[in-house]
Amino acid sequence: MERRRSRRLDLALGGLGLASLLLLYWVGSRTTTFVPPIGEVVSQIPAFLTEEEIWVDVVATVRRVFGALAIAMGVGFLAAYVMSRGGLWGRVIDRYVSIMLGIPSTIAALLALFIFKRSEVGVYFVVAIITFPFVALTLLQGLRAADRRLDEMSEVYRLSTVAHARHVAGPHLVPYTFAALRNEYAHAWKVVVLAELFAVNTGMGARFARAFDRFLLVDAMLWLLLFMLILLGTEYLLLLPAERRILRWRVSAREAAAGEGAA
Amino acid sequence: MMREGTVTPVGTHDYIRVEGLRVSYDRENTAIEDLDMVVGKGEFVAVLGPSGCGKSTLLHVMAGLLRPEAGRVDIGGRPVGGPADGEAPRIGYVFQDHRLLPWRTVGQNLRTVLRSAGVPAEQIEERIDRYLGMLHIERFRNTWPMRLSGGQRQRVSIARALAIHPAVVLMDEPFSTLDEVTARLMRQQLAQLWEESSQTIVFVTHSIREALFLADRIYILTRGPARVFDVVTVMLDRPRGYEDLRLTELEGQIVDRVMEVWGYGAVDAAPDREG
Repeated sequence: MERRRSRRLDLALGGLGLASLLLLYWVGSRTTTFVPPIGEVVSQIPAFLTEEEIWVDVVATVRRVFGALAIAMGVGFLAAYVMSRGGLWGRVIDRYVSIMLGIPSTIAALLALFIFKRSEVGVYFVVAIITFPFVALTLLQGLRAADRRLDEMSEVYRLSTVAHARHVAGPHLVPYTFAALRNEYAHAWKVVVLAELFAVNTGMGARFARAFDRFLLVDAMLWLLLFMLILLGTEYLLLLPAERRILRWRVSAREAAAGEGAA
Repeated sequence: MMREGTVTPVGTHDYIRVEGLRVSYDRENTAIEDLDMVVGKGEFVAVLGPSGCGKSTLLHVMAGLLRPEAGRVDIGGRPVGGPADGEAPRIGYVFQDHRLLPWRTVGQNLRTVLRSAGVPAEQIEERIDRYLGMLHIERFRNTWPMRLSGGQRQRVSIARALAIHPAVVLMDEPFSTLDEVTARLMRQQLAQLWEESSQTIVFVTHSIREALFLADRIYILTRGPARVFDVVTVMLDRPRGYEDLRLTELEGQIVDRVMEVWGYGAVDAAPDREG
């Protein structure tokens, strides 16, 4: 009963937040020249979504986000592993990660333009270089929080290195991997748009820039809406349910108490 | 009922042999000093000592988790800590905390160790069923450990230790975190299981009554660094009752003996005895 009430309250507050945003948008469109009227934007949505060529750019951006994120996850894991081992290389990588954390996305995008010219590689480079330090730090936390007691158990029961990785170390890192993935997924989307502005002529970032340059404000707004829809949609419909399913072994405090009560 | 003195291995009393064991965590903190011990095949031996005296350290060495500074531990004629080949003695360990993999179900937890123990694939499921059944937790086979109570988790931990058919089961105060009623039930079940299986068990505890209820023999250790202070043979018929007056009498005798050596002194002890 209390749960249902709390859920209703959540929904109501969420609706209120959305309504206030729409109100602000409406006020903005009435008082400025650079925010197109909401009705005009909405009326253009069907035509915009049925244009074939927009999906070419969407696919290009999605491919870059997923590709660069995969590289960032891989490099981030390696960096975290080396840092967790300490020693000379651990310290060296630690410094690299610290420095990379301080590089603004715009500077990285300009650097990529100098190094790779206007090429696809530049976009991957920018997204990976900006997101991997955050991945490394999150996974490092996970590696440092490894449960030594479970390591002892696996030693006593003689789990092989592969079995230990599969049943002990790997599953322990899964929540940290998901945390890194979810945080950096949104981050990667934002960075990829920036990189596309500088480095390439395709993708959602490039299309957004083109619309803005030509003062096609409705188009710019439609690209923005599509960007938000894809980002939030994939996060809430793909990543979050996947995380919930994979981490379903975790129990809430309420369930744990119920388990104790059943003793 | 009580036998004092040094350990004299006779007959089958040499399945586990601990000789001249010395363990230090650093040069200054010695946990175990010159400890000898023998355990017979199929024997239930308790190791009794005050909290922090080095009992768990002894089990760690016996399990090969810790290398001794001096001395050795042999199980079934093979040194512990030697090459982990197929001949190396297999150890079942019931930790004070259950140490189950929280992301694997009860059945998967057992399957993981059974595979690592080299149990043939066609026997694994039967073995899981049998040991979960023996511990009365078969209905939790597909349950996540975190959804079980403390007692149920410890049962799974015991099932895991027994299912691999180990050379020896080491138990490190497995019931100390449970409520008293659950702990008593678990002790009874463990005593029954041991009688049915004749498994060699080394059981660490700081509870004198628990040791007397469960064990054939009790190694009483000194306060750290741990040495053998006394070896007690419990010559009571099984099944034993936890409230058996003979246990109470034996408990009193042991309390009297260890009072000094565990560092509580006669003055602290006086009110209890009078009471």
